Amino acid sequence: MIIDFQLIYHALPQLMRGAQITILIGLISCIIGLALGTMFGLALESTTRTLKYPVYLITTVLRGTPMVIQIVFMYAFLPIVGINLPPLWTAIIAVGMNSAAYISSIVRSGIKSISSGQVEAAKVLGFSRLQTLWYIILPRIMRVMLPPLGNELIVLVKDSSLASFIGVTELFKQGSIITSTTYDALSVYAAVGAVYLLITGTLTMGLTALEVRLNRHA
Amino acid sequence: MLSLKNITKKFGDKRIIDNVSFEVQPGEVAVLLGASGVGKSTILRLLNNLETLNQGIVTFEGKKLDLESMHTNQTIGMIFQQFNLFEHLSVRENVTIAMRTVLGKSAKAADKIANDLLKRYDLTDKVDSSPSALSGGQKQRLSLARALAMRPKILCMDEPTSALDPVLTGYVAQEITDLAKDGLVVLIATHDIKLLEQLACTVHLMDKGKIVESGTMHSITSSPNKHPKISAFIKG
Repeated sequence: MIIDFQLIYHALPQLMRGAQITILIGLISCIIGLALGTMFGLALESTTRTLKYPVYLITTVLRGTPMVIQIVFMYAFLPIVGINLPPLWTAIIAVGMNSAAYISSIVRSGIKSISSGQVEAAKVLGFSRLQTLWYIILPRIMRVMLPPLGNELIVLVKDSSLASFIGVTELFKQGSIITSTTYDALSVYAAVGAVYLLITGTLTMGLTALEVRLNRHA
Repeated sequence: MLSLKNITKKFGDKRIIDNVSFEVQPGEVAVLLGASGVGKSTILRLLNNLETLNQGIVTFEGKKLDLESMHTNQTIGMIFQQFNLFEHLSVRENVTIAMRTVLGKSAKAADKIANDLLKRYDLTDKVDSSPSALSGGQKQRLSLARALAMRPKILCMDEPTSALDPVLTGYVAQEITDLAKDGLVVLIATHDIKLLEQLACTVHLMDKGKIVESGTMHSITSSPNKHPKISAFIKG
């Protein structure tokens, strides 16, 4: 048989430990990306040039260079400026920053989707600014932003494999370690791929359910 | 009584509304008539605090109105030309959301008021639909229900029949008449002569930000020579 299921069965605990790290990188870097990407998006939509142009430069660099280079660069650069972080956190920050560059575009499209007419309607009905933000603007922005944000989260989970370049033992790295002792790359990477698919499939289902809920009156 | 005295609005150096004064009694329908861009909608937007007044006084029931707080105390309501319905909410939620969040009504109380209004405006079978699934006339009626749920004393309507066919225009005219009978001050900005002809109202013809002629519809139709500018506008 081409795929050795017995080998996969024995490798599963180790792969699951890697999967936990993969999910951790994906989720935390997504939170960093969302926070930073929102600030970047607001800065890019701002009329203040001193805010807009530096952020434009940062996002251009982050989008225009491979993520693996950003991870390795961060790994080499942070200790020089006196920041000594474990490889896992270096990878999380690098992946989060890269994600922020893409999320800034998503945030910008969300901001542009706000209809001034609906904000005016809320004002006329007596909504406070906070109520308008919570009940009218955010649900609308979320509807626009959720599908691309979901895609971004899935991309992050997959891109987290690049953290293996600086020695983070996430899912892909665990696969490599097992392969180096079993020499059965086909079976091991088939199992690694299946675990990635399980993670991204679960995320997709959750995000789809959330989208359906948000769009129930669309 | 709603009274506007010497209302002026400038954009830069340009006077969009130039020293406009008029009064509307409770139960009266006042129509700001004129071509596009003469300032009709701006007056409604000023009253609803969507634009800042540069000069003038607005009084209601003898007291000076604080335009900043008019919506929080539900003095005024507005129906927009494009309706501006909340597309992410159902038809019923469009009517209940402000009652619940602004007035603090319970879900049950808000639903009851909404159901009554939606029944009145023949939208009962659409309560769970999205506003995007409604026709122009249905959107107009939902917009009316949403505004009336807040029980305003003054209702402003910006081009209320611009998206409607002549049959629905007649229906809206009847609704406006009924609202005025309920004691509301109704202020309409329109250039729709078909709507005007079906209303017992006071007409204020506007041009270049000023009211250039006023008269009741009864007087205009019975003595057109007394109102030459309005009569000419109606004849087209």
